[in-house]
Amino acid sequence: MDTVLSARGLVKEFKRAIAVDGVDIEVKAGERVALLGPNGAGKTTTLLMILGAISPDKGEVEICGVPQRRNRSHAAEHVGFAAGYLPLAGEMKVREYLMMFGQIYGIPDPSKAIAEGLERFRIQHLSEAKGTQLSSGQRTLVGIVRAVLHKPRLLVLDEPTASLDPDVAGRVRGGILELCADNGTALLVTSHDMLEVERLCERVLFLSAGRIVADGAPTEIAERFGREDLEGVFLHLADENYQPSDPPTSQHTDHIL
Amino acid sequence: MKTQHDPTTPLRPGAKRSWLRMRAVSRRHAYVLVRSPHRLFDVTLWPLVDVLMFGSLASFIGTGNASGGKQAAGYLLAGIILWHIVYQSQIAVSTGFLEETWSRNLLNLMVTPIREMEYVGGVALFGMAKLVIGVGLMMIGGFVFFSFNITTLGLAVVPIAAVLLLVGWAISLFVIGVVLRYGPGAEALAWGVMFVVLPLSGVFYPIDALPRAVRPIALALPTTYAFAALRGVVDGEALNWAYVGIGAGGAFVLSLLAFWFLVSMLKLFRRRGYVTRYA
Repeated sequence: MDTVLSARGLVKEFKRAIAVDGVDIEVKAGERVALLGPNGAGKTTTLLMILGAISPDKGEVEICGVPQRRNRSHAAEHVGFAAGYLPLAGEMKVREYLMMFGQIYGIPDPSKAIAEGLERFRIQHLSEAKGTQLSSGQRTLVGIVRAVLHKPRLLVLDEPTASLDPDVAGRVRGGILELCADNGTALLVTSHDMLEVERLCERVLFLSAGRIVADGAPTEIAERFGREDLEGVFLHLADENYQPSDPPTSQHTDHIL
Repeated sequence: MKTQHDPTTPLRPGAKRSWLRMRAVSRRHAYVLVRSPHRLFDVTLWPLVDVLMFGSLASFIGTGNASGGKQAAGYLLAGIILWHIVYQSQIAVSTGFLEETWSRNLLNLMVTPIREMEYVGGVALFGMAKLVIGVGLMMIGGFVFFSFNITTLGLAVVPIAAVLLLVGWAISLFVIGVVLRYGPGAEALAWGVMFVVLPLSGVFYPIDALPRAVRPIALALPTTYAFAALRGVVDGEALNWAYVGIGAGGAFVLSLLAFWFLVSMLKLFRRRGYVTRYA
């Protein structure tokens, strides 16, 4: 399988603390991976380094074999990004907004991709609405449609279903799974909803204090940390007394980093 | 045989794709302008207010002194109309960028393949439309209210306007660089910097009229030479190409410096993770 994302030895230090401390991530084509961890674990910083919005102090990112540091624009062609916390430009209608981003991705006439995206997430009726008229759930859905207009090889989502009601969150998950299946798009997602992660992702990376402390299938990780589910693992890692070097309580440590 | 590109798929890298991106950015800012009428003040009301103010001042100065009044009207009205080329081109690009920060669209853009120059080019393209509207209205206002017709100055105004346009864009790159570095608190600079450049450029008077201490600063500004050339044209002299040349050279150097500054600030912006200020 092709590697769509290869991040090696990522380090990012801000004034007061090391946010990311030697993170390695590899995502294969079509793979659905969750990046989990408590607040301040370094998830968003890691994603922003992968996207090229923050440059790492150390380490390299390659998207589909294109080095991010040397050719950000070319690398970005293969990636789509959406975040639950980002609003839409208020004065633009959804169709106009999507048209702009489609053309920024180099598609002269993105109308077909826009229609397909809106239909996939069942929001065709929002096409003529302005950004200011949308609920937060609708904004998230439009943001995801924007992120996939150019059929990216890698879709990066930061908290895509935060503050969404179960119905809309379900629609988001359904649309994403369908998209990944149809286009072979790889997914890298952060979320605080462990149930969602178990439904959406086949592989989980746990970050704690800027380091990856576990990498594997959701059930494997829960088992290896001696917890019932991912939520138990999450609470264990969020424990302020937890140190990344602490061994898991399970006997199995082969996939625990 | 050359095959037609399917418009529903991405274009290959090249000028065509850059042009597509620039048009997309430009159109986005056109929507913002049309749908938020208060933003039209910059291209409608303020230019007309400036024409009224400086035209009235010229009329007052000219009372009882026909030849001096005509000269004052020429200096003041031609000066303010051409000053708006610097102002409109600067403010269009600066506020175009600020619009992305106000609407928290910056991160969305930064993760796309758009290149910095494509983005600036798109905003500048839209700025040209604003400039045509703003300066066009001033020309009409000058003619209707004060019978001042700037077109009588002829084509000599064109190279002067080109120098001023380049300076406006260069200043906007500096402003964007400072906002990237210092964040939203530095936004006031977008407007404030023009109030520093205007008096030092000798827009309405020769820089000999400035206090001796600030003249070296004025001499270092490319706009000073452009407006000196303009006054010569207003006085009926031939265009002083030496002034235009110095102005153009200065504007070119200023643009290079501004671009270097912007790129440096963008690197710093990425290194320090300042994008989180807008997310």
